[in-house]
Amino acid sequence: MSLLPSLLPWAVAAWLLGVGLYGIVTSRNFVHLIGCLSVVQSSTYVLLLSVGFRTGGIAPIFYTHPPGTPAVDPMVHALVLTDVVVGATVTALLLALILQLHKRRGTVDPEALRPMQP
Amino acid sequence: MPRGMTPRARLVLFALAGLCVLPGVMHVALHMPQFGAHPLPYGDAINAAAPGERHLTNMVSAVNFDYRGFNTLGEEFMLLCAVTGVTVLLRGQRGEGRSAEPGVTPGRPIPPRSDGVVLICHLGGPVILLFGLYVALHAMTTPGGGFQGGVIIASGALLLFLGDGYDGWHRMIRSEAMDACEGAGAALYAACGFASVLLDLPFLQDFLPLGALGDLFSGGLMLIENAGVTLAVGGGFAVVFGKFLEETRIIPEAYKP
Repeated sequence: MSLLPSLLPWAVAAWLLGVGLYGIVTSRNFVHLIGCLSVVQSSTYVLLLSVGFRTGGIAPIFYTHPPGTPAVDPMVHALVLTDVVVGATVTALLLALILQLHKRRGTVDPEALRPMQP
Repeated sequence: MPRGMTPRARLVLFALAGLCVLPGVMHVALHMPQFGAHPLPYGDAINAAAPGERHLTNMVSAVNFDYRGFNTLGEEFMLLCAVTGVTVLLRGQRGEGRSAEPGVTPGRPIPPRSDGVVLICHLGGPVILLFGLYVALHAMTTPGGGFQGGVIIASGALLLFLGDGYDGWHRMIRSEAMDACEGAGAALYAACGFASVLLDLPFLQDFLPLGALGDLFSGGLMLIENAGVTLAVGGGFAVVFGKFLEETRIIPEAYKP
């Protein structure tokens, strides 16, 4: 059964992507939709961190461990770190859009939106 | 008026798309290298080279501020764009006016703040602020840096709102100062790059003394870049928090459309 632990990270990433997209497709509330978008985003974090993982590797910090100790990939950590922070502000931007939408149209239901009339 | 797709049709389309993608996902997942035993040539090269070449022990900072510093410049400006977008979207309707009247929902009274909350916020706020500075300062040695530290600093500032209310927040956090922090941080990062160019070096090439490995102030130019990121992230999050807090207020009559 060494196949299962090997498949698990990819299965989790695919599952997060799938449920997030399902939520976006069926969403009846834009705030819920943005939550689903964050779930989709998290699937990329799981994927990146799994790709960079090494069994027995330390965190890529050589402060107490001497340089040369087997460590995990710092590349993916840097990518995820910056994306978490920038993703949070982009989520704030989307929420601001929804606040404005609610003020203008009085609804946050994607189904209730119609093209703007001149 | 053109009707959109019905929810059922959209769900069927989603299921069909999922069925089409599934075999490909399965194929890739089954042919990936054993989990935990991937070849990591890029990461290994950085782990091997950075302590000697750049005199720092935190490899993630080495990637963020040096080896892929140009990428981080892009992230900085994405942050700036998102914060500007939030500001423009939320300020558009209420102009520059700042009413301090809280918005009310009929039938939902606003209970007074409990003493426990105020005490915890007054005790916790400065500690979180200090912890944020500590994390931001330790970018070159231990897991820390401007991205994490900036977010923690802004979260500490948010405790002001929780403990002292909207008035307290506005007394302590000047939104003009936060705007300046956000912009100046991004500009500082870009200026580091152009300073290298002026010295006839490649963009963002380190030209300052690198210091000793494991020292808090090792890393040369990366320290200044880290300060820029801390300012930009801390200022940016404080601006965003401030804009959303203003949304809890009643719009002054003068600004109603």
